[in-house]
Amino acid sequence: DWDGKVSEIKKKIQSILPGGTWDPLYDTSYLPPERADVVIVGGGVLGLSVAYWLKKLEKPRGAIRVLVVERDHTYSRASTVLSVGGIRQQFSVPENVQLSLFSIDFLRNINEYLAVVDDPPLDIQFNPSGYLLLASEKGAAIMENNVKVQRQEGAKVSLMSPEQLRNKFPWINTEGVALASYGMEQEGWFDPWSLLQGLRRKVQSMGVLFCHGEVTRFVSSSNHVETASGEKVNLKRIHEVHVKIDQSLEYQPVECAIVINAAGAWSGQVAELAGIGKGPPGTLQGTKLPVELRKRYVYLWHCPQGPGLETPFVIDPSGTYFRREGLGQNYLGGCSPTEEEEPDPGNLEVDHDFFQDRVWPTLAQRVPAFESLKVRSAWAGYYDYNTFDQNGVVGPHPLVLNMYFATGFSGHGLQQAPAVGRAVAEMVLEGHFKTINLSSFLFSRFYLGEKVQEHNII
Amino acid sequence: MLKIIIPTTMLIPLTWLSKSNMIWINSTTHSLLISLISLSYLNQFSDNSLNFSLLFFSDPLSAPLLALTTWLLPLMLTASQNHLSKETIARKKLYITMLTLLQLFLIMTFTATELIMFYILFEATLAPTLIIITRWGNQTERLNAGLYFLFYTLVGSLPLLIALLYIQNTTGSLNFLIAQYWVKPISTTWSNIFLWLACMMAFMVKMPLYGLHLWLPKAHVEAPIAGSMVLAAVLLKLGGYGMMRITVLLNPLTGQMAYPFLMLSLWGMIMTSSICLRQTDLKSLIAYSSVSHMALVIVAVLIQTPWSYMGATALMIAHGLTSSMLFCLANSNYERVHSRTMILARGLQTLLPLMAAWWLLASLANLALPPTINLLGELFVMMASFSWSNTTIALMGTNIIITALYSLYMLITTLRGKQTDHVKNIKPSFTRENALMALHLLPLLLLSLNPKIVLGPIH
Repeated sequence: DWDGKVSEIKKKIQSILPGGTWDPLYDTSYLPPERADVVIVGGGVLGLSVAYWLKKLEKPRGAIRVLVVERDHTYSRASTVLSVGGIRQQFSVPENVQLSLFSIDFLRNINEYLAVVDDPPLDIQFNPSGYLLLASEKGAAIMENNVKVQRQEGAKVSLMSPEQLRNKFPWINTEGVALASYGMEQEGWFDPWSLLQGLRRKVQSMGVLFCHGEVTRFVSSSNHVETASGEKVNLKRIHEVHVKIDQSLEYQPVECAIVINAAGAWSGQVAELAGIGKGPPGTLQGTKLPVELRKRYVYLWHCPQGPGLETPFVIDPSGTYFRREGLGQNYLGGCSPTEEEEPDPGNLEVDHDFFQDRVWPTLAQRVPAFESLKVRSAWAGYYDYNTFDQNGVVGPHPLVLNMYFATGFSGHGLQQAPAVGRAVAEMVLEGHFKTINLSSFLFSRFYLGEKVQEHNII
Repeated sequence: MLKIIIPTTMLIPLTWLSKSNMIWINSTTHSLLISLISLSYLNQFSDNSLNFSLLFFSDPLSAPLLALTTWLLPLMLTASQNHLSKETIARKKLYITMLTLLQLFLIMTFTATELIMFYILFEATLAPTLIIITRWGNQTERLNAGLYFLFYTLVGSLPLLIALLYIQNTTGSLNFLIAQYWVKPISTTWSNIFLWLACMMAFMVKMPLYGLHLWLPKAHVEAPIAGSMVLAAVLLKLGGYGMMRITVLLNPLTGQMAYPFLMLSLWGMIMTSSICLRQTDLKSLIAYSSVSHMALVIVAVLIQTPWSYMGATALMIAHGLTSSMLFCLANSNYERVHSRTMILARGLQTLLPLMAAWWLLASLANLALPPTINLLGELFVMMASFSWSNTTIALMGTNIIITALYSLYMLITTLRGKQTDHVKNIKPSFTRENALMALHLLPLLLLSLNPKIVLGPIH
């Protein structure tokens, strides 16, 4: 086979000539590099957002070598793509409002941020229909306070009485509703898959390396020091990450300076690998990262007489939510189960009885047209649920100094991902938050017990 | 000469037969003692050379280089202790053996009388260096780096072999001490032009000259610390030393042939200094600064005036010590943060104040602060090149400014400013590291008190 031999020799010569990498023994292109400056564990929207902002904010271009390690390249269980895709500014914590405001600005101008030469522009199919949060008598005062905070930060939210609600949305049954807040601008939903693809494409063009593997071990060096109050702590520094290749026993030790934990629902396990939480409970040593998997169901149904095209993302006081999906009278929705009804997060199987028992009654009560609907499909996704206060963890760990967190957003991570990515990148590069001050979201709050609790989250 | 060569050779059995907890102590102490012996050669007659035998001699040019080489071995061993701590005993001993072998070849190269012996040992130094770079380097790119290093030098030096054989056949002897008195002026024929090129190209690649410098940043960045130290401090000076020896045989052709190389060096000096301003990798910055300093040496050697030869010799010794010290400092950073990117480890002055002092002194020496011998060398070369051609002063002046710029940039980025969060738990400086820096700096500062040791044979 003369031609084959010639092309083989040509390939060999090309690999030896300057410019290419020459590995005379065997092909190792599937392995991650032996050295990287920043290793990002998790390639979902938060991980890619951190990678994007790291490459964007580094002062000399091309200074930092970033490696994103993602163990599932189909993203079949990733929270990003199984998300409902909503974005709202209606939070009660001012930092959350600021995060969402920057994120929506990012998403609106996504083709200026994520443009890649010679590639088609992105279309994230943003539907600016707004969020409608309904409050009962008990929650009305909290809602008014929240709206005040949101307006202070610059969100455009209007408060509606039941009368105005009936005028604007005639399909709604305002029984039990005392007050409603409706986001006028910058709220709605979008397609998370295209955001992920856009980020992935842009980040690859900026020179970030991707690896399809799983992080199995952190090799760290410790320093036993004594704090000012005499307490003995163990300061750790991760200097190597062992990345195991998919479906193989082979692993590659990657020497790194910084590790970013953006593993989403599995961040707790990654943090345990680094030794976070191994110590007597009640001390900083023994404070675990309280992020766990929680399964949430999303149902897609068809209702021919349902609400029309101006339907916002409606959130009932009972916790049930729904939004319009597409132009064919389809709707997406679900409900957050209470603590007792938490489904087993071992798999992503859907429980249809949950819809029948918990979701449909409240839906039908709120929107009478939903009494006759037909469920088309359903899926389940994970929340990276922060059991402490259901808000994100951002920034370095006080003891394992070079592990930064960007996780734990408990269901609103996708909508805040661009802003959180920028905040973490600023923390890594500068050492402090420059644009949005997320110091209340640092890890140390778990030890100090300072909850940043949100009211009315899904 | 045997009193240096035999102890250096015996360092190898010393390493292999030492107990595992004594290998570093034994090899470092004994190599330090050997370097003290070589200091005695610095006491030279200024009008002639010290002849030890038919094979070895040392004159005021090679004696300081010899002292530098032998001084560097204990420093290299001290610097390598940390990154080799996880290897097996046999590997550690092999590493020390490679370094010792390299040292042996270098000692013999610098003191060889016969130019063929010089050539053989010149080539022989490639082997241990290649082994050190490719086996103990850090990344997969080290294979590429080793390849570049090997082939650039080999391709440059093979014509040198042919030229030396030709000179041996025509002149009858390649013994340097004799040849310098038997030199006949060579005319400008094509074959003589090729002879000139063949003789000089090996050393141009080694220096390196600006157009042939591609191997240097790669080799320096990928090599382990001892490899970087010996490359920067000594192997580059082989090129300078070789050029100074061989130009004796090539007059007056050098006057005409040197022009393209002078232009390349003058231009390359500024280019590589400017590249330093844009480097993100610390070791890469120091590697390019080496190219810039060596370009000055090339200019000096090709101009061939007494002042420039003095400047070249002083600059070689000064750059050897300074560059090696900068690599040690960069390595101490790398061992703590595990990244060579400058912006990831900032604000180290508050965490490691003594190391910051060493950084400051090394950077000040790099930018040729008076009264160090760095300044002496640069000043002599500048004056000589000004008298050769007035316009070079503009280029030299620009180079000095840019050198100061990037040295200060390196200093400010690594030391000043607010620390990044993740460097707050780095280990404090070890005594070993402080001793290493002090041992680099002490000769440099002492030489500024008595620079005529390093000013070469003309002084």
